Amino acid sequence: MSRFRWLVLALLGSVWSLSSFAAGSIEGEIEQQALNPTAIVMFMVFVALTLGITWQAAKSTTSSAAFYNAGGKITGLQNGAAIAGDFMSAASFLGITGLIFVGGFDGLILSLGAFGAWPLLMFLFAKRVRNLGSFTFVDVVSKRLARGPIRIVASIGTIAVVVMYLIAQMVGAGKLIQLLFGLPYTAAVIIVSTLVLAYVAFGGMLATTWVQIIKAMLLLGGVTLIAILVLAETGFSFGALLSMATAKHPKGDAILAPGVVFKDPIQIATIQVSMLFGTLGLPHILMRLFTVPDMRQAKLSAFYASIFMGYFYIVLLVLGFGTIALLYGNPDFFDADGNIIGGTNMAAIHIATAVGGDILTGFMSAVSFATILAVVAGLTVSGAAAVSHDLYAQVIKRGEPDPKMELRITRIAVFVIGVVAVLLGIAFENENVAFIAVMPMVTAASVTFPILFLSLFWSGLTTRGAIVGALTGFLSSLILIVIGPQVWVSVMGNPEPLFPYNYPALFTMPLAFFVIWVVSIADNSERGQQDRANYHALLVQSEFGADD
Amino acid sequence: MIDPRLDYVHVKTRRRLVFSAIHLLLYFSFALNWSELGNGLRQQLGDGPMTGSMLMFVILVLSFLAIECVFLLFDRDGAK
Repeated sequence: MSRFRWLVLALLGSVWSLSSFAAGSIEGEIEQQALNPTAIVMFMVFVALTLGITWQAAKSTTSSAAFYNAGGKITGLQNGAAIAGDFMSAASFLGITGLIFVGGFDGLILSLGAFGAWPLLMFLFAKRVRNLGSFTFVDVVSKRLARGPIRIVASIGTIAVVVMYLIAQMVGAGKLIQLLFGLPYTAAVIIVSTLVLAYVAFGGMLATTWVQIIKAMLLLGGVTLIAILVLAETGFSFGALLSMATAKHPKGDAILAPGVVFKDPIQIATIQVSMLFGTLGLPHILMRLFTVPDMRQAKLSAFYASIFMGYFYIVLLVLGFGTIALLYGNPDFFDADGNIIGGTNMAAIHIATAVGGDILTGFMSAVSFATILAVVAGLTVSGAAAVSHDLYAQVIKRGEPDPKMELRITRIAVFVIGVVAVLLGIAFENENVAFIAVMPMVTAASVTFPILFLSLFWSGLTTRGAIVGALTGFLSSLILIVIGPQVWVSVMGNPEPLFPYNYPALFTMPLAFFVIWVVSIADNSERGQQDRANYHALLVQSEFGADD
Repeated sequence: MIDPRLDYVHVKTRRRLVFSAIHLLLYFSFALNWSELGNGLRQQLGDGPMTGSMLMFVILVLSFLAIECVFLLFDRDGAK
């Protein structure tokens, strides 16, 4: 009954927030669009539906184990859809479409980068991580290494990645709701955080999974419908669509080939490395591998996720060039200064308006909001698990926590992450969400991926090597990101960056690997010898499972 | 004592690494579009507006899915 009361309060709180801030928009505080009743109704239906799911899920989320992995009862197909729902984020949908709108072909590098990791997830990690872990990837790396130190380092890496990834989602949420409802940006960010707190704190991974599945299906359905309507404008000819796009875009034919936004091949390589290996190190994605009952379902999860996402990124190709063909030159979507209303991140929503009117705009806006809620929920579960499972239960309590206290700490961690997400979302309001989404990728590629990969595939890895290498990857990533263009120039206002690339994983990941290798082979400690000796048993267990 | 299953695990490990290497080769080949080696790719195909670069994007996405299917076929034996 208490849970129900909280859920009702959360729903009422959201309704109150929307109503009061929407009133502000009518008074003219916010620029963009008039109130869209269709969008508001669809959004409220989604909120009511997902909170209903959360209420149901809360009944079975009575332990920290159920909170972390939904009891391990999700099927491969469901988990594949949930992984897709987790990863097809605001950065993917809004950011990549916006980048294609600005630069044409160059935007596709982010699509390929986002998609390229999934085959590797299947080849390298799906089965082995599932067999070796319980709730988080940190369980896997601590299997053969000294439990306390490696858990602390890996957990800090997890929390850093989660917090940075949250920034992109909150920025997307703030801008979307600002445009849709005319709400103040800050209020929009707070509403998102409030709803996610309700989902995650009470429904845990089970509610999060179903929110992600529903959102994935809605998003795939929505982009499919828009793509069909866009192609209908050109007689279902993709060639005609491209011709229309080149005729409208100021850069003309140049948008069909590389070079409008990115010119340096090294810059491209930095993006590719960051997105590929970063995705493989994202803790909230790796955590999803533990929600299925066995290794076969884990493998199938990765495959189904690939199918959903491969389809999604190909459809974005149509949407992206559709925005160019149908939005450029249309005064309905540009302000008096000639800028697209709401910024380039909103091109994906405007194309829905152009081909489907208010109803489709309302639907896609609600779906986009759902997208953000689903991804933020997944991130929050992962961040909370890092605190309560990896740090509290496994490090502080040495694997023997009080179950009630662990669950309580999990929910406190959820609340703290929500507050941090709001604060950082406000601080990064004016950045392109796709660019921001790459920042945690760099850290994940330079910290999580090296220690996870080497713990599974290199017998020589030692605890000392993993810790020194992870810290090297973490610090070098942060330093190079701070002195790079995105922070040093855009955020801090300096005229020139000290490091020329936004995504330094091309440099920081090999550095982390090198340091891990050097320190490990030089490690003659007793612990180091034990770490190496543990490898073969771990290797067998990774392929055959713990019970064999 | 060495676990007799280790040989089998090593075979599987090699397979994982070979598939990963093929995938990485394909994936990073996309960067050629931004280099001088990709000049040919940037040209339009025939009389239509579609460029080789765009076709490469679609082919890469489809080939990634195809590689996963092949891997699943090889890996059908599970852990036995």
